[in-house]
Amino acid sequence: MSYLRRLPKFEYLAPRTIGEVCALLAGHADEARLLGGGTDLVLQMRRREIAPRYIIGLKGVTELACVREEAGGSVIIGAMTTIEAIMSSPVIRKRYGILAETAAEIGSPEIRQVATIGGNLAGALPCADFPPALMVLGAKLKLQSQQGERMVPLEDFFLRFERTAARRDELLTEIHLAAPSPFSGGVYLNFHDRHSMDMTTTGVAAFITTDTERRSFRDVKIALGSSAPVPLRAKKAESALRGRDFSEEVLEETASLVCAEADPRDSWRASKAFRLELIKTLTKRAIDGAWKKALASSNGRNA
Amino acid sequence: MKNSLPRTTEPLTHQCGDECSEFSRREGPQSHGSKSVVLGLPVSLRVNGEPYELLIPPWRTLLEVLRENLCLTGTKRSCQEGQCGACTVLLDGKPINSCLYLAVEAQGKEILTIEGLSRSTGGLHPVQKAFVEKGAIQCGFCTPGLVLATVALLDQNPNPSEDEIRKAVVGHLCRCTGYVQIVEAILGAAGEMAVEGRG
Repeated sequence: MSYLRRLPKFEYLAPRTIGEVCALLAGHADEARLLGGGTDLVLQMRRREIAPRYIIGLKGVTELACVREEAGGSVIIGAMTTIEAIMSSPVIRKRYGILAETAAEIGSPEIRQVATIGGNLAGALPCADFPPALMVLGAKLKLQSQQGERMVPLEDFFLRFERTAARRDELLTEIHLAAPSPFSGGVYLNFHDRHSMDMTTTGVAAFITTDTERRSFRDVKIALGSSAPVPLRAKKAESALRGRDFSEEVLEETASLVCAEADPRDSWRASKAFRLELIKTLTKRAIDGAWKKALASSNGRNA
Repeated sequence: MKNSLPRTTEPLTHQCGDECSEFSRREGPQSHGSKSVVLGLPVSLRVNGEPYELLIPPWRTLLEVLRENLCLTGTKRSCQEGQCGACTVLLDGKPINSCLYLAVEAQGKEILTIEGLSRSTGGLHPVQKAFVEKGAIQCGFCTPGLVLATVALLDQNPNPSEDEIRKAVVGHLCRCTGYVQIVEAILGAAGEMAVEGRG
């Protein structure tokens, strides 16, 4: 990296509406990059990993920054909603505590002020924290282009490192969350070397719905971050756990099944063996934490 | 008046009105070697209460414009990756890393840098006083960013716990003090400002 590290030159396009963004993407798809908060893209440009000819700035598209409660109890989060806004949104704190807690763990106040949830997803980095937390909530993404719009389940969104199911001309506009079921709770736990300002070595999210007697797992969702080339659901472990009564042995068994589905890599940050140990431990703690939250929830408004 | 004229370090020929939301369609960034190239977008900023009308190339960060165009060098350049917090300024009252923020995206925003913090009173801000008194400054390089982050914290939470303070300044590196004095200074500033507020 050179000492001065100025940004490479580009043309800046400032659309005001989703329609304008889609038109610009249709015209410049191969030469343009979308700029959300910029906390990832500006770094990649400074390092000359990318030097796009056009930057489409999304900060002026105000309709993309929103947290909206729908009539049926579902919630829609706009892609340009900042991490800070998610952390402090009363709707999200009340309905999806797991998201507000995940947001509070990301970066610094300075980063959270500009970084967006859409960027955290669309960057498709394996270490991102929102994908596992949103996957266990069953999030669906709305992708829009001039051809129209489509909904994609988050678990089908990540194809490989930095690659998503969104076409070049498509814009991620909204994240849709269904109303949490009664007697449910979710927890996302991540491990990093430092307390903060560090990439996640491994993250595990669990979302539990108990039966009405509150003894067994009616429904279970488990998702992993930094445990494979893309964030993923541990579906075999989920179905093995469904219907069982809560016990230490069941947690132990599930954690082993989750490890079998993970495919972590060796890196300078952590070896594969260490990551597997982390996945095992974090899985047990996440399920245990989510179980306790589910027991404490009175009406399902406590995810 | 100090700093009231737009100062630029690059030749600027782009002169369209406020309705222009696009940087020259005719000339791509590949052709910036030639002389007739359009180099700036019109941007209006309020920095430390003063209005500025500038023409800014879109690839310039807010940090570069503050330091190089407005000569406000109290905002420091260091890691340029959002890790160290030395470049922190307040944008509409909220702390951001100015090294990661395009200046053109600050259009219409109110920016506060360390130079503007004590302008209204003439003396040091209570947070600055507390940093001096508690020995929270040694080389001083991290201080402008930390002071502004503290101002933003106390604005939101006038009586923070030590844990809340540490979480609020996680994005700031200080290689001299070991952070103990910084946390003490922030606690001290909160106490001092509470007393002032009551008085």
